[in-house]
Amino acid sequence: MDGTAIESLLHGFVVLLTLKNILLMMLGIILGIFVGVLPGLGGPNGVALLLPLTFTMDPTGAIVLLSCIYWGALFGGAITSILFNIPGEAWSVATTFDGYPMAQQGRAGEALTAAFTASFFGALAAVLLITFLAPLVARFALRFGPPEFFAVYFLTFCSFVGMGKEARHKILISMLIGFLLAAVGMDTVGGSLRMTFGFSDLLRGFDFLVAVIGLFGLSEILLTMEEKLAFEGKQAKLDVKVVWRTWKSLPRYWATLLRSAVAGCWLGITPGGAIAASFMGYGLAKRFSRDPDSFGTGRIEGVLAPETAAHAAGTSALLPMLALGIPGSGTAAVLLGGLMIWGLQPGPLLFVEHADFVWGLIASMYLGNIAGLILVLATVPLFAAILRVPFPTIASSVIVLCAIGAYAVHGAVFDIWLMVVFGIIGYVFKKLDYPLAPLALALVLGDRAEDAFRQTMIASRGSLGVFWSNSLVGSITTLALLLLFWPVLSDIVKRLRKPRGGLPTEAASS
Amino acid sequence: MNREKDAVVSRRTIELIVAGTLAIVGIGLAISNWKLGASWAADGPQPGYFPFMLSVMLTLASLYGIFDALRERHGARGDAAFVERAQLVRVLQVLVPTVLFCLGTEFLGIYVAGFLLITGFMRWIGTSRWITAIAVALVLMASLFWCFEIQFQVPMPKGPIEDRLGY
Amino acid sequence: MDSRSTAWGFGAIAGAVCLASLPAAAAWEPTKPVEFIVPAGAGGASDQMARTIQTIVQKYELMKQPFIVSLKGGASGAEGLMAMKQAAGDPHKIIVAQSSLYTIPYATNLPFSWKDLTPVTLMALDEFVLWDNVELPYKTTQEFLDAAKKVSTTEPMKMGGTGSKREDHILTAFIESKAGVKFAYIPYKSGGEAATQLVGKHTDANVNNPSENIAQWRANQVRALCVFDKERLPYKAKVTETQSWNDIPTCKETGLDIDYLMLRGIFIPGGGTPDQVAFYDQLMRKVGATPEWKEYMEKNALKEAEFGPAVLKAFLEKDEPLHKQLMTEAKFLATN
Repeated sequence: MDGTAIESLLHGFVVLLTLKNILLMMLGIILGIFVGVLPGLGGPNGVALLLPLTFTMDPTGAIVLLSCIYWGALFGGAITSILFNIPGEAWSVATTFDGYPMAQQGRAGEALTAAFTASFFGALAAVLLITFLAPLVARFALRFGPPEFFAVYFLTFCSFVGMGKEARHKILISMLIGFLLAAVGMDTVGGSLRMTFGFSDLLRGFDFLVAVIGLFGLSEILLTMEEKLAFEGKQAKLDVKVVWRTWKSLPRYWATLLRSAVAGCWLGITPGGAIAASFMGYGLAKRFSRDPDSFGTGRIEGVLAPETAAHAAGTSALLPMLALGIPGSGTAAVLLGGLMIWGLQPGPLLFVEHADFVWGLIASMYLGNIAGLILVLATVPLFAAILRVPFPTIASSVIVLCAIGAYAVHGAVFDIWLMVVFGIIGYVFKKLDYPLAPLALALVLGDRAEDAFRQTMIASRGSLGVFWSNSLVGSITTLALLLLFWPVLSDIVKRLRKPRGGLPTEAASS
Repeated sequence: MNREKDAVVSRRTIELIVAGTLAIVGIGLAISNWKLGASWAADGPQPGYFPFMLSVMLTLASLYGIFDALRERHGARGDAAFVERAQLVRVLQVLVPTVLFCLGTEFLGIYVAGFLLITGFMRWIGTSRWITAIAVALVLMASLFWCFEIQFQVPMPKGPIEDRLGY
Repeated sequence: MDSRSTAWGFGAIAGAVCLASLPAAAAWEPTKPVEFIVPAGAGGASDQMARTIQTIVQKYELMKQPFIVSLKGGASGAEGLMAMKQAAGDPHKIIVAQSSLYTIPYATNLPFSWKDLTPVTLMALDEFVLWDNVELPYKTTQEFLDAAKKVSTTEPMKMGGTGSKREDHILTAFIESKAGVKFAYIPYKSGGEAATQLVGKHTDANVNNPSENIAQWRANQVRALCVFDKERLPYKAKVTETQSWNDIPTCKETGLDIDYLMLRGIFIPGGGTPDQVAFYDQLMRKVGATPEWKEYMEKNALKEAEFGPAVLKAFLEKDEPLHKQLMTEAKFLATN
């Protein structure tokens, strides 16, 4: 298997290395960064919009162009998160937690470099996985039914929810609001409408992006304005060497990178998605850090972890799409539609019937990500320079971009108003020390977790034992519970150790 | 004593308003979900089960929030200003134009409203000259128009001016 | 690759010929970009149909104004339906709808009826097929139903499907009442998900549309038991190693007397004038005459339907009461 994989891959590179394909690759990356930067206009949109253009191209050229838009969008999502606290993509919410504080401290260039490099590392890990383990991994993904999905969401949740510094009831309230917002609209399992109170604008529920653009982006402008008329971090020096300096510090964080890459690949395949992966990556980095309290104040790991995980998940999500025909993400779903229109049927036979195409795509994952990394790193000084533009210009442009982003998600003016309301809520909550991250996480995972739970209950006829019914789901559930009670457990361990550690010294002194 | 530093409203008042509102919202949602069916049926929870539980928990947590805000030990911090007068003025300098911009979007479309917002903001909140403000806003909105309407074909809310131009 | 480009070439010629043979242009035509609303998620069957139509319209330049696909799949598509209702009188919006036109309002009390829209034409009818996992020992519908009957009261077989109280669920309830069995119906978000869950043996069977299970069928992971139609599918080219769509027996042949088809039709918002309807009807007829469309129909095993508003209206007037009856029997109607 391995020998043929490398041979096929080399053949894929040969297919790709034509001038036309390399130009398409560059074009795709630039377009992708562009749609990634604009909030609301995400990877799925970018790919969907260009899809018709590609119907007259040959499938290899078309998939190169489209998949590069995807890589570009994955890279680009981090930019506005770091500079303005506005997640350009849903999976870059966790990047704002430490990325934005870094930018405020004048370390925007460092944060951007870290984010891009981490993205590249995550993607590389996922592509290696796809290259060598595709058939094996595809079979593994099939083992995921509703109980396994629920266990994965539960695990994501448990890995992220540690006890923060805020008052406990405020953490709880924030989380509950997130879950409740997620439940508004159509209930997949019951088929009825919940909490819409007859408003047709509430039918589609509260979109995650609309909420986070308001909660994180607009509220940040209000807070900045309250203090003074400037974004902090203006003094950031334009320095091309920042890339090199950041790179030198990265090997130190190998454990974080590796952990996030594994979590990301796993969630991309199962398919829990890049959003869940980014939160889990961040949560794990914090959980295993020696100094968890410093997260959220501008730690570089807080940028590395979610970006690695999101990009690993986003990339490995293509595997179930190709091998099984199930999309692991919104963009993958659009690519899937594209494949079918080009006359390629994704599914178990794609690897056999269209091996050229598949290996061409995998080769383009390597080349596209390398090209992407070079391109985005070249733009670091440029983006860092945006912070030097006077505040009134930036603030008003950002408000317009937020509105466009909120509108673009569903094409509804109502969502622009909703974004403003979320902005005010975010401002008040931040001032009263209500944490916003639990709200965002609950909003994005709440309804999926509930669907998976209720699907499980229908199949098991109401028995909870199903969560320990086989080794796979059992170990995920147990792992989740362990992580949930980790703070309590480590407390107990510490207390048990203390007396023993303390006694000998006492004995010696007396 | 500088009036600018006066507290417009105390932290405690806002805490109480937020917790009180959430408690009421929680009760409302609980009733709505109870009507939908909130018990545990033979094939697992009914549609309203989880939202009902969550709403009840939200109400309880908010009630605790009210109790917590009224407690003595928060005394000094509770009396502190939620927002000072000068701060509130600055926040409203962003918020009011933003709301006007949203209103403008309903009638004039997002491009014209965005142009007005950026121009006005740069001129009055910032210190740009008219010519700079108009030029920046025009270039920015025109490139957004080109990008969304022409290149990506994502229709944005538009008003009478775009209608005249045939969009 | 070569065969594809030849097909495109023929398409151009065929398209040109049929354009010439069609009646003169309608009295009305769009003056603004037309928004093509898809009340479903990205990559699903409706989205693919819309994008195929969009591609054909662009390729043959069948329309002067741009033709933009816009996804409004929130609340199982209710978002798209309500957007169309609110756009009454705006002829620059069209929708590709399916039976959620009535199933959602019945199941949720959504204030919507297909009569709020102006019917233009049917594009196709979508079939449903009863599939089971190839590793299960049941090779015919009868064997499968017998086995399902045995476990009905103890541990019912798991039937996967798309959404709750929607076409898959209604059809499952229909089978239950006809065959006297009981299934545990598990609603998933999409047909693709239902297909993989069947392959992963998390469910025992599903009633997916042909296009939703074709990949798994070709890989010999799922077995097609019967098609819910009065006659077999017409497509005789081999799809799997041994079978063509035509080889799947009808459910009636196998002793399960159910036929159930789903419309895929085009509507414009309420208050559309006959001229506007005529414009879109002719546009879709032109689309329907292209070889790309025929290829798409065969690949997804769609059943051809006659074009024109009259046929669509007649279909709706028969199909809506049927759904009301089925949903009433299955107790799917909204109560509050």
